[in-house]
Amino acid sequence: MAASPKGDFFDSSRAAVQDRELQRKLESASTRHLDHFAIVKAEFPLYEAEKDAAHRIKTDAIAHLDELLIQLTDKLHANGCKVFFAENAEQARKYIVDLAKAKGATRVVKGKSMTTEEIELNPAFKAAGIDPVETDLGEYIVQLRGEGPSHIITPAIHLSKEDIGHLFTEQFGIEYTSEPEKLTAEARQRLRAIFLTADFGITGVNFAIAETGTLIVVENEGNGRLSSSMPDTFVAIMGIEKVIPRLADLSHFLEILARTATGQKLTTYTSFISGPRREGELDGPREMHVVILDNGRSAMLADPVLREALNCIRCGACLNVCPIYRRIGGHAYKSVYPGPIGSIVSPNLFGSAAGYLPFASTLCGACKDICPVKINIPRILLHLRWKETEGERPLKWPAALEGARAGARRFAGIARHPRTIRMLGRLAAQMLKPFAHNGYLRRMPSPFSNWTKYRNFPRPHPHKRRPASSEVREP
Amino acid sequence: MAEAHKILATIKTALEAGERQQYLDLANNHAPVVPPTRRVPIAGPEHRAELATSLARELELVGGKFAGIVSPAELSNRIVTLAREIGAKVIAIGEGASLDMDAIGEALERADIKVVKAVPVADSERLTMREQIANADLGIAEAEYGIASTGTLAVISTETRPGSLTLLPTASLIIVQIDRVVHDLAAMLAAHGPARLIEHRLTLITGPSRTADIEKRIVLGVHGPKALHVIVVWPRDE
Ligand code: SF4
Repeated sequence: MAASPKGDFFDSSRAAVQDRELQRKLESASTRHLDHFAIVKAEFPLYEAEKDAAHRIKTDAIAHLDELLIQLTDKLHANGCKVFFAENAEQARKYIVDLAKAKGATRVVKGKSMTTEEIELNPAFKAAGIDPVETDLGEYIVQLRGEGPSHIITPAIHLSKEDIGHLFTEQFGIEYTSEPEKLTAEARQRLRAIFLTADFGITGVNFAIAETGTLIVVENEGNGRLSSSMPDTFVAIMGIEKVIPRLADLSHFLEILARTATGQKLTTYTSFISGPRREGELDGPREMHVVILDNGRSAMLADPVLREALNCIRCGACLNVCPIYRRIGGHAYKSVYPGPIGSIVSPNLFGSAAGYLPFASTLCGACKDICPVKINIPRILLHLRWKETEGERPLKWPAALEGARAGARRFAGIARHPRTIRMLGRLAAQMLKPFAHNGYLRRMPSPFSNWTKYRNFPRPHPHKRRPASSEVREP
Repeated sequence: MAEAHKILATIKTALEAGERQQYLDLANNHAPVVPPTRRVPIAGPEHRAELATSLARELELVGGKFAGIVSPAELSNRIVTLAREIGAKVIAIGEGASLDMDAIGEALERADIKVVKAVPVADSERLTMREQIANADLGIAEAEYGIASTGTLAVISTETRPGSLTLLPTASLIIVQIDRVVHDLAAMLAAHGPARLIEHRLTLITGPSRTADIEKRIVLGVHGPKALHVIVVWPRDE
């Protein structure tokens, strides 16, 4: 489910672009989020100030990451937690699966966690004969379908209520209904029974406070509370970048996170978990483990431009505004983290198989404008494009695109000669006339056919005079 | 621990390679991190009416139900009435933070409602206690704080007040004293402080459990309570 072999993104995105139904669902869902966001933002005059504060605190925290992680670890130990640093996905998986085996767990309840998707934990559990149960309703639904989430906040955004109705009929043999209330009640009942006797739970982490050794988990459903307080053994997994210095810093993030993510002022539940339960307590695990994952993040840290991406608080807003995401949806990216921020982190977490993703952007800047921690996403995408073409490990493109790129290079050569290009332009306008429809060329004759494989080309106009390069001014 | 040292060393090197100083300057170049001006400090009595109104309004906006402002003497009666209104037959309670929950329990029993009381449990008794609370129609808990600007209730979990009370029963009733209602999250976290945060698990509750995972339609009670009722206690003499 992580980055798939190359080429896939091209195929999947081409297929997704044709899927009008998918676009309808994505449009309606993202528009709803954005409408709500606009309302709560307007009602909250401090939004910009909080955004500023969050950006500064996060930038500062990342610059002190080593010290903060040491402080966090010490505090977690003092609170009675076990801490494990995992260098990569493999180590994290092994630690968690071995722990579950040692505890004799046959089933694991999971709160929503993109990090466990990142390390592909579920297949590892299954291989060990342990049943991982996703308990976030959206995640539960996509798991029943044998898929991964298609949005980092709303995993089942690509499905209609009818899709889900049919799924439940198929899986549970219940009478068909497409009413969200009934479908939700069905899931509640099934999952509640599992929760009450669960003995191994896992959730992700939204923030970790170094000062106190406290993990913050935000959610709306209550499955995060259940996963972290019912089982006897609880594992929290977090990337190294989740740590913030002080309790007093937290409100700045919480005041913007839910507003930007879903248009709520706060999520329904915010849990502050510092350690295992105490003598006599009903709730909380007897044993609490915290897995702190690097998996390519320290490499991002070493790059002064890329580093900024570690500020991300995974609000998902950049997906909602992205014209590419809204066209093709999350699955087409072929990576656990889709959308603009996904195009940045995926190549760094999953290697060159996801290296095409930084090119899947129009650089329109909508993501930068909405990002609550002010990440300059287009700048980082450009930086990555540069790295992927001119850097140490240049990408290998599919043959068809390689051809188009060679063509573009040749064009760049010719374009330096104003007279030649003007002459060629007039010639092309004449020659291409028969291929045009409504002012666009859908298909061009060889050797230009590779270009139109991926986009339509505006028909060259015989009378339009392009400015010579000497007349072009820098924007 | 070997991994920890290795990763921490990598991070340190990475920070240095990325010209940490330059980055620190960037971070420091902005004015120091100061919280934006807070509108109201921790509330004095003159703000109470405003805070209670805001708490009630915001609570209703997130699908909660405001069950009114009552004096301490009226509290038990109000709870009994509420229990009748929602048809609760079994109610789970714990100890209060400041309220006398035993008196409330007795009043409920007098009204023929079965009361399950959360008490400290040995590990072997956990499942039974949990089942009992899960089977309750209503769980009652007292909040440490109310947050007026977001309609939020902050509860902690202890051996006599388990978090399950606000999570497992079909509906939830949270009671908050008016002098514990603050304006916003920052004020609440500052009042609570780091020391108590480590001591007990803290949960902020803003409305009933909800999901919007199926075509963005909001459905309440996906995992936690389907309804959240809130009562504010306000002594008469103030
Ligand atoms: S990059 Fe910014 S907008 Fe995108 S998910 Fe992260 S925090 Fe949200």
